[in-house]
Parts: sequence; structure tokens; C-alpha cells
Amino acid sequence: MPAKPISLGHMHFDKRGDAVKYLTYMLHRYDLGDRVSTEDSVILRAALEHHQNSTDKIGCGISYFSVRSADFGTRCFWVNRPDGTTEKFSISASIRG
Amino acid sequence: MSLIDLQSWLLQEGVRDDLDTITRLTVRNELDNLAPDISVQSDEPIDWPRLLLAGSILARSDQRGDQEAALRVATAAIYLTDDQALKDAAAVLMGKLSNFRAITLATDRKLVAADLDGRLGIALRLEAQRREMDSSILVQSSGSWLQVNDFQQRFWISAAGDSWLSASAPTASGKTFLVLQWLIDQVIAGESRVAVYLAPTRALVSEIETNLNGILGNAGLIEVSSLPLAEKYKTARAGGARVIFVFTQERLHLLANVLSDVLSVDLLIVDEAHKIGDNQRGVVLQDAIERATRANPKLKAVFISPATQNPEELLTDAPEGVQTIAVDSDSTTVLQNLVVATQVPRKSKLWALTLRQHASELPIGVLQLASTPAGLKKRLAFIAAAVGERGGTLVYANGAGEAEEVADLISQLLPKLESIDPELTELAELARKGVHQDFRLAPLVELGVAFHYGNMPSLLRLEIERLFRSGKIRFLVCTSTLIEGVNLSCRTIVVRGPRKGKGHPMEPHDFWNLAGRAGRWGDEFQGNIICIDPEDTKAWPGGVPGRARYPIKRESDAVLDLGDGMADYLANRGLSDLSSLEDKDKFEQVGAYLLTTFMRLGSISAASLAKRHDAASMAKLDQTLGALAEQIEISVDLAARHPGVNAIGLQHLLEAFRAYRGNVENLLPAEVASNDSYDRFVTIMERVNEHLFLAFNPGTRIRLYALIVVKWLKGYSLARIIRDSIDWHQKVDKSFSLPQLIRGTMELVEQVARFRAPKYLSAYMDVLHLHLREIGREDLIDDGLDIGTQLEFGVSSMTLLSLMELGLSRMSAVALYEKIARDDLSRAECVVWISERMSQFQAMDIPAIIIREVRARLTLSGEATTQ
Repeated sequence: MPAKPISLGHMHFDKRGDAVKYLTYMLHRYDLGDRVSTEDSVILRAALEHHQNSTDKIGCGISYFSVRSADFGTRCFWVNRPDGTTEKFSISASIRG
Repeated sequence: MSLIDLQSWLLQEGVRDDLDTITRLTVRNELDNLAPDISVQSDEPIDWPRLLLAGSILARSDQRGDQEAALRVATAAIYLTDDQALKDAAAVLMGKLSNFRAITLATDRKLVAADLDGRLGIALRLEAQRREMDSSILVQSSGSWLQVNDFQQRFWISAAGDSWLSASAPTASGKTFLVLQWLIDQVIAGESRVAVYLAPTRALVSEIETNLNGILGNAGLIEVSSLPLAEKYKTARAGGARVIFVFTQERLHLLANVLSDVLSVDLLIVDEAHKIGDNQRGVVLQDAIERATRANPKLKAVFISPATQNPEELLTDAPEGVQTIAVDSDSTTVLQNLVVATQVPRKSKLWALTLRQHASELPIGVLQLASTPAGLKKRLAFIAAAVGERGGTLVYANGAGEAEEVADLISQLLPKLESIDPELTELAELARKGVHQDFRLAPLVELGVAFHYGNMPSLLRLEIERLFRSGKIRFLVCTSTLIEGVNLSCRTIVVRGPRKGKGHPMEPHDFWNLAGRAGRWGDEFQGNIICIDPEDTKAWPGGVPGRARYPIKRESDAVLDLGDGMADYLANRGLSDLSSLEDKDKFEQVGAYLLTTFMRLGSISAASLAKRHDAASMAKLDQTLGALAEQIEISVDLAARHPGVNAIGLQHLLEAFRAYRGNVENLLPAEVASNDSYDRFVTIMERVNEHLFLAFNPGTRIRLYALIVVKWLKGYSLARIIRDSIDWHQKVDKSFSLPQLIRGTMELVEQVARFRAPKYLSAYMDVLHLHLREIGREDLIDDGLDIGTQLEFGVSSMTLLSLMELGLSRMSAVALYEKIARDDLSRAECVVWISERMSQFQAMDIPAIIIREVRARLTLSGEATTQ
């Protein structure tokens, strides 16, 4: 299967795997509990829009993204909504699109 | 023959046989379930007039043994004779010993007929009255006279004036009662506007606060507070209501921090002052005393300690020119019978009891057990249940888990009560609702048995202690918490192989701190200490210890006496890898203290402690400290705000902040209501571990620690935190033991959320604020309640803080907060909310003991505000 390119904001990746790597690297640049910077948020928002459940995940909107812990000691990006609700989303599910 | 020779002859020969006989009889009277006495009795009747005369000669001695013998004679005559004249003479003998409480007790129990004075001849009556007057003190604030014993009188006289005082006396000497009276007198009638009473544990703080409020009644003359609130301090200094703060050493530091060290304490009382030698917290106490003295060099300090060898040691750091007085007493107010229990060969249900006296052993009788005590826990439980059946019995267990099991065993041996006392029902309700429906304490207290350990919520623990004192709880199984500063005495204490903390055999002075609690002065004439298996070297590696007094030695001095260990530790402390540091528990706190002292004075040799150590080791330390101090930009004021936290650690943390490349806002904790809060705490604790000190150990548990901290700050009740933990275990299908889970949660709350987290997180915040100011981001600094205070009290909302400011325990405050919708209520608004709903509390399922506390506090503070 030929590699599928993907664009996230101003970032362009030739392969989806590259995008996953990029986001995984981004995820680990942060400490647990950190708020994601505005710059990175643009890319994350684009990624989340690719998510198979993007409508559900985005819900009433996005206030900001955080890096927080997830199950079994792992870490994840979380979307925080204006109504105070929050949900985690996986990088690969966003890129698979 | 001199008087001393006569006294010594009387004790050793003159009345020895009669003394042994009455001792045996009086001790037998104290113990339950003894086999009938079949030993050969002497036909000679006791010569009471001769014994009483001997007693009155011995009463004139200041030797403990002589005084004990005199008290024994008086007690025996009151108990064992039917002759009113002999009983009266015994009461007069007690008067000679200044033991007026014992006379009152004898009269109350109708052992001595009322109107004793009326029956004495004129000469004797005059003498008795003179003695009573000689042994009275005038309480200035109330204008009343108080009858006191010799120790109390010496304390009262010596405490006048500006000198520093250190007083030491055994447990049942009426120390606390008198000191509290004196303190109130100073604050009402004296010059003291701000007094601080330091007690080493939160439990003792609550107890002293309650006692002070009890003595003060509803007068509202003085504010009593255990919260470090700047407002109360400022009001008192400005001429408003005077204040007595009751604090742990950490809380005194919190108050000093809030006031930026503009703190002028007039009177500082340090209770359980021998705890200045405690590992890790002793130096924090020393630092608190020194900090208060630096802030007000005219401060008057009073140290109180139980039966210590060298109370004067505490006075060696008094400011120059201040006079010092040590008041030391070893006098006896109640008889303490040290009895050892050894199994009769091949008869496991029979235990021979022997009284240990100064130079001899006296067989007392044979104790009969109802069942065979298989195993050590059963042995302890069965013997306690049998020998102390009439109640007031304290059983010492090694550890919280064992305490629960022993209490359970004892409860099974007791006859089922026909009805449960309402106060016990209420305590059981508090245990079920405040901790867990199946908390083991609940069914036990319904049977009059309880256990007691350090990490229990204070409301629960104080109620257990109160009902034990009142006799409704007949058996209390306790742990070494009791020697860590809880004022609790008993009628009988039962011990087997006591350990202190986790596994260390007890030193003789610790053992006697515990054993000394046998005998409630004014409630009983005698106290009994039952030691099981005295010959077993596993249980008692050094045998049952002889009477010993506590040697006071500051933690800092003890650590410095270890040789070069301190200097070596400090040399390594400057390195960046904290995980390889050895013996941190021993050296870190004292090391921090030394470094801050060095930073303040420029040399440790200039510090007061230097006079207690040799110059060469001080010079070596100075060299090491100098090398460290060179690396430090943190100011001494910042370092001094965090006792026990090493300035070099603070410096490393500051450097880590400077090197941080992310958004600086991510360094701040997120408010607890925010979704990020928990994860931020995880990261902050990791930063603390990496740069400041390995405080959250093991690192693999940091997530759990952060979770507890968040829940605690959110104002969750202990019951809810426990419930959540059970739910989590069930959800992930992880097995657990409920008693262990409950104890583990209590421990996490006390040791992590209330002790380590506030200490290190408030240091983290202070350094972060310094960094934010350096980079011009003052906008990120929040001036609200500091994290240390929030954690110590487990509050993050104004409503919860207001409730605690009203004097409620956290348990009660949280129970109400769960029902209050708004989180921004002031104290007055809380009072309104409570007053409107007081009648509905029961229907709201709020435990009766909490309702009682709310009522008591609201009446007190309500009336105080009308003044």
C-alpha cells in the first residue's frame, strides 16, 4: 500500500507514521499536567479533527489541550471543553482517520 | 540516730514485714481474677498505730522510696481497717504528703467519713489548716486559692518573673492541669498578650485546645486557636482579645511565615519538651523555639517534660542575661505497682504474679485465665482481660494491626452487656460514618473495648480517650503513639515485649514514660503495671527495665555527636544525584538546620550549639558548610521559612526552574477543581524528588500520593477517600484487606497529605515565586492561602476554612461542608447556615458526636463575639 500523506495545520507529513511519531514526540516533550502550548494546539486540533469520532471528542468545543496520565501508567493528550468536561484521545486513532 | 538513718532503718528493718504484708494486701485488692490466697498468713495482727507513726516519719523525707512507703501505709490504713480513728490518721498522713486529692478521693468514696477536720483535736486541726494554707496558691485571674502538691507549688512560685523555666515531673503529678491554669492566669491577669503552647502532636494540640476552652468556659476573655491565623495575632497585638495559640512546631513556623517573622510571642510553653530529641522533628522544634526567641528576645519560655534526668538542659540556649530555673520532681502521688506475670509451670491458664520493689520481689498471687492463651497475642489479650476486668485497663500492642486484633480478642472474653451505653453507641456511629461501615472499632466500642493509634482522625481519638477516662471504655489497646505525646493515664497497664515504632526494643525511659501512666491521681490510689514473661529475652532483651528517667538531648546534638557523619553527608548533599544519598533520615533535617544557621551567622562556631561540641569538629563543619553556602543564592530568610528543608536543595530547585524550557505556567500547581490538578501534583512531586529532596518515596507511589493530596485538598472526608479506594480495588479486581486498607488510607492522609506534602510543596512554591519574580512574572503569584496551610488542614475552599476557624475538627467541618452548597462562606455566614439547620442535622445523617462538637463550638464562639 502506498504511503498516505497527511497535513496537520502547517505541518505536512509524507507518511501517516511520521505524523504519529511527531505527535508521540510532542506528547513526551511535556510533563504530566502540562497545558499544551498554543503552537502545538493548532496541530493537535487538526489531528483531532481527523479522529474517527471527532464530533464526539470535540463536543461543545475545545478550550485547551493537556497532557495527563491515562490507564496503566501511560500518558495521553486530553481535550478540555468549555463546559468543564474532558476526554482523552489517542494519537493513532486521530491519524488513522 | 539522725532522721535520715531512722527513715532508712524503718524502711529496711523497722516496719519491713508489716509493709510487705500491707503491700501484698493492697496490691491484691487491685487485681481481678486472682486464685484464693492460700499462702501462710502471719498470725501477728498489723500494728497500725506503729505503722502510721513510721509513715509520718517517712513522709518527712524527700526520697521517692520513703514517700512511697508513707503513701502505702496511708492507703492501706484507709482500705484495710475499719477503725475510723486509724482512717482519720491515714488521711492526716496524706495531708503531710501534700496529697490533698487523695484525701478528697477517700472522702468521696466514703472510705473516710466526711468532716475530717471536725474530728481532729484543736492542735491537729490547726496544724492541718496551716499545711493546707502552706500548700495553696493564689490564682490571680479568679482570686481563688488552689490546693497543690509540692511540685505544683514549686512550679507556680518559680514561674513568676521573666526567667526561663524547665519543669520535669512524673506523669501523675498534675502538671498539665497546673500549667494550663498558670497560662490562663498569665494571659488574663499578666502581661502576656500572645502566648503559644507548643505540643508535639496534632492529637495533643486538640486535647490542650479542648482543655483550655473547658477551663475558660464561655467567658470569651481569651481567644484559643490551633490555626495559624494572622488575624487573631494582629488583633491581640493591637489591644484586642488576647490569644493563646496551641500549635505543633510546624504550625508555629506557618504562623511565622504568614507574618513574615514579625512575630512577637510573649510567652512560649513547650510541652513534652524532651521531644526536642526526636528524630527528624526534634530539630524543627528547636528551630521553632529559636525562631520565636529571635523574633522577640524578651520572650519567656517554659518547658515541661515528664520525668526527665536533666530538665536544665533545655535552658542552655536561653538568651544571654536571661535567668533560668529548673524545677525537678520525682515525688509520688499515686502508688505504682510493678507486677510481673510468669506462667505457672505446665499450667497455661495460671500465671504467678510478683511485685517488684526496689530491692526485693513480693509474691502477690496467681491469676486465673478463662481460656488457654495459645500464641502471644492471645496471651496478652487474655491476661489483660482477666487481671484488669474492672476496667481502666490499657494494653500496649506493637503496631496498629496488632492493636486491632488484641482488642478483638479481649472483646470476645467479656460478658455481653444488656444494653449499650448511648455514648458508646454514638462513638460507634462516628466510627461507621466517619471511617467505614465495617470499621472494626465500631462493634468493639459497643462492648466497651477500643483501640487507638496515631493516624486516626483526632475527633475519633479524643472521644475514645474521653470515654476511656470516664470508664465507659474499659479496655483500650494502644500503640507507641501513646508515648509520642498523648496525655492519658490508666488504672492498669498490661505489656509484653514493648517495641517503639517499628521493631526497636523500648529504652528504659520510654518504657517508664508508658508505665508511668499507671495510676490516675485523684481517681485512684494505685496504678498497676503488668509485665508478661519477664524472663523471656525475646520479649524483654534487657529484662523488665528498672525505673528510669528520660535523658534530654537535642536531635541536633545527638547527630553531631555521631562524629564526621554529618560533615560527610553535607559534602555529598551538594551533588546532584539525590537517590544515592545515604542516611538521609538521620542527617537531612539537622543538616538543613545547620546550613541555615551557618547562612545566618557566617559560622556554626558562633552558634549556641557550638558550646556543646568540640571546636575541631565545628571547624570541619564550618568548612563543609562554607563550601555549600557559596553555591547558594537563596536568601537565609527564605531558607528559614522551611525548617528541615535543605537550602542547597532549594537552590537546586531554583536552578531547575531557571533551566526549564516549557511554559512557566506549567510549573504552577493547578487548582484542585481543575482537570489538570492531579497530574500537576504528580509532576511537582517528581520535581521535588529530583531536585529538592527525595521526599515522596518510593517514587513508584507518587501517583497514589498525588491522588490523596488532591482528594484531601478538595475537602473529601476520610470516609469518602476510603470508599473511593475500595471502589478502585473492586473495579480493577484487586484483592484487599479492609482493615489494612483503612489503616493505609489514614496513614497516607496523615503522613503524606498532612506532613510531607505541606512541608515540601510549600518550599516548592516559595522557590517558584522567587523564580517568577526574577523573570518578571509576578502576575502568576497568587496571594491566597498558602499550600502548606491548605494541606495541613485539608482545605481549599473558604467555606471549609471558615468552618475550621470556628474551632471545628476537620471531620466535623467536612461533614457539614458536604451539605453546604456554597464554597465561599465567611465565618459569620457559616454560623447562620448552621443555626438555620441545627435541628435538621440528625435527619441529614450527621453523627451525634459531630452535632455535639458543632453545638459546643458555636456556643463558645457565639458568646465570644458578643463581648
